Amino acid sequence: MSRADSQDNPPTLSIFADYFDGVSARVQRVAVSLAGDQTAALEIGPPEGEAFEWPLDRLRALPDQAHKSSLTLGRSDDPLARLVITDPAAIAMLRRRCSTLSARAPVTGLGRLIGWGAGAVASVALIIGVLIPLMANQLAQLLPPEGEKALGDATFEQVRQALGQQGAAALRVCDGPKGAAALKLMQARLTDGLDLPYPLTVRVLQGEPVNAFALPGGYIVFFDGLFAAANSPDEVAAVMAHELGHVVARDPTRIALRSAGSIGVLGLLFGDFAGGGIALLLAERLVQANYTQAAEAAADRFAYDRLRGAGLRPDALAALFKTLKAQNPGAEAGGIVSHFSSHPALGDRIAAAEAASAGLSAARQPALTKAQWRALKGICRE
Amino acid sequence: MISLSDLDTEYAGRKAPLFRLVLGASVLTVLTLGFYRFWMKTRLRRYYWSAIRPGGLSLEYVGRGSEKLLGFLIAVVFLAFYIGIVNLILVFFSFSVLDGPGAAYAMSFVGIIPLVFFARYRARRYILARTRWRGIRMGLEPGAWGYSWRAMMHWTLAILTLGVLWPRATFWLEKYRTDRTWFGDLRLTQGGRWTMLYRPFRHFLVPWIVSLAVVAAALAGGDLRLLLLLVLTVPWTIFGIFHYLVQSFRILAEAKTADGVEFKAAPRTGRIIGIYALGLTLAYSSTTALVAVAGVLLFALFNLSGLPHDLLTEMFSRVTVAGWLMAAASIVAYFAIFIAYGAFYQIFVTMPVIGHYAETLTIGGRARLNKVRQRRRDEFAEADGFAEALDLGAAI
Ligand SMILES: [Zn+2]
Repeated sequence: MSRADSQDNPPTLSIFADYFDGVSARVQRVAVSLAGDQTAALEIGPPEGEAFEWPLDRLRALPDQAHKSSLTLGRSDDPLARLVITDPAAIAMLRRRCSTLSARAPVTGLGRLIGWGAGAVASVALIIGVLIPLMANQLAQLLPPEGEKALGDATFEQVRQALGQQGAAALRVCDGPKGAAALKLMQARLTDGLDLPYPLTVRVLQGEPVNAFALPGGYIVFFDGLFAAANSPDEVAAVMAHELGHVVARDPTRIALRSAGSIGVLGLLFGDFAGGGIALLLAERLVQANYTQAAEAAADRFAYDRLRGAGLRPDALAALFKTLKAQNPGAEAGGIVSHFSSHPALGDRIAAAEAASAGLSAARQPALTKAQWRALKGICRE
Repeated sequence: MISLSDLDTEYAGRKAPLFRLVLGASVLTVLTLGFYRFWMKTRLRRYYWSAIRPGGLSLEYVGRGSEKLLGFLIAVVFLAFYIGIVNLILVFFSFSVLDGPGAAYAMSFVGIIPLVFFARYRARRYILARTRWRGIRMGLEPGAWGYSWRAMMHWTLAILTLGVLWPRATFWLEKYRTDRTWFGDLRLTQGGRWTMLYRPFRHFLVPWIVSLAVVAAALAGGDLRLLLLLVLTVPWTIFGIFHYLVQSFRILAEAKTADGVEFKAAPRTGRIIGIYALGLTLAYSSTTALVAVAGVLLFALFNLSGLPHDLLTEMFSRVTVAGWLMAAASIVAYFAIFIAYGAFYQIFVTMPVIGHYAETLTIGGRARLNKVRQRRRDEFAEADGFAEALDLGAAI
């Protein structure tokens, strides 16, 4: 390696380097020179053949290289050829003279990237939002009652686990005998003469949310927070009748099957990062089930019929809503309010429930006696 | 035989620059909600590839982050369809026919395995297509589905024989990949026979069979003291797995040829086990130490602030700006721990392991290598998207 600095051309460079032409794997030992300040190109002289030039403004150093005592150069307009320089002074000089050495290659195919990005979002949305619900609706009709019951058992355990405090035990199922007997009585009164493919399973979970929800296979689940918030057993009966409407229409089965499809897709998108978060999301989704407007309206209509048939007034549901609104004015979110307020406006449903009660006299017999109502409220403390 | 014209491999990986690289890229990955990971992977590969220098000439990785993102998006479109629909149907059948979720979980797991092998092969094809040495591209011929079903067959056989045919799976799958691997216009061939792998495999097979026999005998009502033998055979089995993985790499490498080009490999099992043992210890203890130091600093900060503790507690317990800051700080701490561990793992485990395999590799056949000509670029838009989406990529 030699460097010759002549007097009138201050910094010149004359070294040997390894050259790869990108055509053959042969290492070519080339003479590399850069004459004076005026020249704008490296002159590269191969052992055989003619010399050629690499313009300085097209030189690019490979990024993130581990070997610090060499500099591997490429050309912005040639993806293949490489020049490996090991002379420290030459490396320093090139770094000084080439401002574009570490310039990034322009991003190519941005349009394609955006296209596929949009395509990916659209297809995932289509799969989760259209295809899976469509299939779930069909499959829910085909699922035999035993399968639906098994699905309900599995989801009930999942919901208990997921809604329990993180890391702690699952939510407690309350089964105080007196309270359970009262609940049984209410259930019998509402399901009188109703033909269900599976026995109804009514469960009470210990928890503050003022909420109730239905699960596949005839599950109706209350939080005991609902009993605490309700003013009368008739209100609880109205909620049960509404959830019964979802059970009869198999709404929760659709939701559960839909979630089973969506959960894999979501796991794919968020990777391990979300992990247990997805399970929690699924549980929330089942509990805060957002059924369609038609499904809610149908459940409401079913509830009015059942309540009237049992000698109860449908506007008990309206009374519960009013109580809830009074207890936390302005709060629309959370628990039963969000479930029941989901699609048809809450006010409309209050009005509908009241209309369905028009002309009815006061309940001939309340849903539960005072003693039974006390027992139900205390089902988690027995 | 090692001759003077053979090319030894240098290794230029250094802890400090790699640590800075991993740390910076990880922070960017978190800040971009994970999107930078495609570029992080690219940069890490560039670093590791350039650190491996057979004959004193670095490998070069020319893959790009944007093509990985594109590949990921493509894979998501296909996988979302497959996984969503398949999961739904499996859950339906499992509940309608078998009354329980168990079968669905098992089947959705089995249903994903062919995709895993498929994705692995495709990822390898992409990586080789973006790897160059001496300016010449490497390459892997298409054949992912062929690989996938072969892998399923070989592994099924290996599992059914309780692991006895594991070397057969190793050999034939390696042969499938190697025989489709190119360096420029030079094709690699996997020579040898599958039975040659049983030499190192003994150290797994013998203690493994003994362990199984001991457990079977104990279960069948034999003397429970037999189980004490496991104290000996289980660690031996674990050593055997390492020994087999390292030495089968060596044997397979040395049985590869490419028109006169040969390989000599000499990785040592003890060294690899040592790297893992020491590396994992260092990675865990460094992360723990970092967490401890951060904790002490925070504590000192609070003490120096001169506020009585009760007031501080009260301040933070309220839902105030301070409360939000506290929540933000714990999220940052959460990610910081993962980032730190990831970076320590790279420098204490991944880097030395790659280094050991590199430094013990020698390539013979210099004259033939000089005659190698360039191969065409394999565009392969999907990159390693499937492996990325299925989370198989590990760190690099
Ligand atoms: Zn409803």
